[in-house]
Amino acid sequence: MAERVLITGMGMITAIGGTVAANLNSLQQQQSGLGFTRFIDTIYKEILPVAEVKYSNEELAQMAGVPGQPEYTRTTLLGLIAMQEALQQAGIHDLQEEPTGFINASTVGGMCDTEKVYFDIIDPAKEGDFLRYIDTLDCADCTQRIADRIGITGYITTISTACSSSANALMYGARLIKQGLAHRVICGGTEALTSFTINGFNSLKNIDKQACRPFDHNRNGLNLGEGAAYLVLESETLVKRNGSRVLAELSGYCNSNEAFHPTAPSPEGDGAYTAMKEALAMSGRTIDQVQYVNVHGTATWPNDLSEGRALERLFGSQTPPFSSTKPFTGHALAAAGAIEAIYSVLAVQHQLIFPNLNFSEKMEELSIVPETRLLEGQAVETVISNSFGFGGNNASLVISKYEG
Amino acid sequence: MEALKQKLKQQIIEALNLQDTKPEDIDDNAPLFGEGLGLDSIDSLELMVLLERHYQIKVEDPREGRKILQSVQSMAEFIQSKQPA
Amino acid sequence: MAAITPQHSFEGDLFSQPLRNNTSNLFQVTEPDYKAFIPPNSLRRMSRLLKMGLTTAQKCLQDSGLGVPGAIITGTGKGSLQDTERFLKDIRQYEEKALNPTPFIQSTYNAVNGMIAVAQQCTTYNNTFVHRGFSFEHALLDSILQLQEGAPHTLTGALDEMSEEHFFIKSRIGYWKKELVNNVDLYKTLSPGTIAGEGAVFFSLSAAKTDHTYARIAGLKMLYKPSPVVVSAGLRTFLREQQLSPEDISLVLTGRNGDSNFEHFYKELDAVMGSAPQVPFKHLCGEYETSGAFAVWLAAHIMKAQQVPLQWFPMQEAFPSGALSRILIYNHFFGEQHTFILLERE
Repeated sequence: MAERVLITGMGMITAIGGTVAANLNSLQQQQSGLGFTRFIDTIYKEILPVAEVKYSNEELAQMAGVPGQPEYTRTTLLGLIAMQEALQQAGIHDLQEEPTGFINASTVGGMCDTEKVYFDIIDPAKEGDFLRYIDTLDCADCTQRIADRIGITGYITTISTACSSSANALMYGARLIKQGLAHRVICGGTEALTSFTINGFNSLKNIDKQACRPFDHNRNGLNLGEGAAYLVLESETLVKRNGSRVLAELSGYCNSNEAFHPTAPSPEGDGAYTAMKEALAMSGRTIDQVQYVNVHGTATWPNDLSEGRALERLFGSQTPPFSSTKPFTGHALAAAGAIEAIYSVLAVQHQLIFPNLNFSEKMEELSIVPETRLLEGQAVETVISNSFGFGGNNASLVISKYEG
Repeated sequence: MEALKQKLKQQIIEALNLQDTKPEDIDDNAPLFGEGLGLDSIDSLELMVLLERHYQIKVEDPREGRKILQSVQSMAEFIQSKQPA
Repeated sequence: MAAITPQHSFEGDLFSQPLRNNTSNLFQVTEPDYKAFIPPNSLRRMSRLLKMGLTTAQKCLQDSGLGVPGAIITGTGKGSLQDTERFLKDIRQYEEKALNPTPFIQSTYNAVNGMIAVAQQCTTYNNTFVHRGFSFEHALLDSILQLQEGAPHTLTGALDEMSEEHFFIKSRIGYWKKELVNNVDLYKTLSPGTIAGEGAVFFSLSAAKTDHTYARIAGLKMLYKPSPVVVSAGLRTFLREQQLSPEDISLVLTGRNGDSNFEHFYKELDAVMGSAPQVPFKHLCGEYETSGAFAVWLAAHIMKAQQVPLQWFPMQEAFPSGALSRILIYNHFFGEQHTFILLERE
């Protein structure tokens, strides 16, 4: 009998808070983290809203317990802070007691720091401290610095599948547990804002100059965000042995590919539909047992259309309340999947459904509309969380209440 | 207008690296997307870069862009309409 | 399988391909004619690494005779450098205005996965690992899990390129030898640094043997930043878990690369494996994050043919004789990510 995969700890830092509790509070207060960047040097500084974590690198380094150490990129610092909270919440004081894996995710790794010094790095006439950033560009750097700091001894790797990265990290960790290769794996992702990604998404002309409006007829694109989020996954065997407190269960998941186009989903939402359907089937739940869907909902024209159609195909007239929390956090790329998985756990734990901000007009192609109110006192037992990335990579997770 | 269309065809070929295509292969009114040259949404963005870099015309909305980029003819007409009289 | 590497690996019989030499410390691949594998409309905007990856994947599927894979899983250490470098330069040159989107899109690490999925109309599991010397190895582990979960077969690959610019960057932190070395002399030039390489290798992995089967992957073990003692202990444990002793190994492929900084790890291997025949492979492909895939490709060919391509090892004094039933691969990437892989004859 395959192990059940249980969530025993979570940690995060986003534009709406430096801890899980702070994030929950902001969601409940309906306080978005969008604004203009304070730290990125770009001509779009006062033009494109972003959801930036409200601390400078120096402040993050203090929070992470590594002040004055420049090789820690912003990506690493965000990850370290989120990781420390996750470990604390899971009651893990000594990682060596149980071989623990770490499956991280990032799309541009340490680019936040490398891009500032890249042209010095490639100039033979230039020497200086910047040379220490050469090895910090790739995705593995942040993973290893975090792992070394906390003492990871099990499997260690980094997944990079664009916007679905950390959802895939959670899936991979879960499968390692189910296949008996590990009893505990910490999974998630970290991403910092960069001029590279701001300019990249701007070149795709899918960034909104105002706060994003997921599922709105007049949506104009996404807002970028940054942050880090990790979930501690444990096998049921380990949980029972240690008496760990269970927050929720990762009861289902699916990764399916659109196989349609490098960046655009199929208009009918085939990949999204399959991902949600199969994930739900794995969880053993039926569509009427889903109380909330935390959608990918980037507010780009193609995504919301495709995802909306997929929801209608899957749920028919019984689409449960759904919302995108990206108006709060922006689109934190690789970290988004894990951030939203944590929000899904919070929904189950606190019986909440989070609002889809900035919505006013229904999309003409759909009959469904997102939930715009914060709903409290809801019997939320099963949540679907979607993350869809470039390369047609579609990941859906099912988070469920754990009854034992 | 003819000279503009000729120049445009050459620029399109360069921008999209259509190595096996010559300007005379592109009909003024042939659809650029779907059939015809078979371009896609990424090409559409690349052509908007062409408009901005070579003609200083900025198109913000990619859906508006697709209408302008239907054919060489529609592109040329759009460019001309944006030139000072 | 299929491979685009610095050797003549893509077409023809491996065992009659002459050894390619290199003296620049940057060993680049021999590129095939991509037009035979990629339609012109796609090819026109693809950058170098993506062409290498997609072509190798398509060839591998042809070689395997299996249909659409049940999963597409890749590993890469650096992704498409050409696109990352270009986009960074464009941002500067055009002052953040009117930027071409294509290099940004293609700089994403799973770009080639998306292209393969579209080309094959493969809508199933798709994943990419980007973790230096564990990128390919986790793609392999993920594939093994997929097969155990019921996927009929997977398309598993690894790809990396080395650009002149990135070669210079890594030279600034001592990755490469200061002196120019002929790849054939790599192992007798034990000094700090090694030579750079690149390659794209794809495998079709299935749970059941077919007529095309090259070998069986019997074991995989990864060690993260191990001390030398942990390496030898890890190897002993790995063999024990397979119910084997060093004498049962017919051939060892090692990632020795002439880098004096890390030679001590290979001494641990020597101590454990005693007189087991060893051949090094890095002079063939150079050093790069996913060179482990090259090693598996080479080992699988050797296993199927039951011989080593002698012409590729002019520096080797002795070769194993007799049946080759088990090949052990030991490789690490700059001392951090270490892997043991065991191949067995099917």
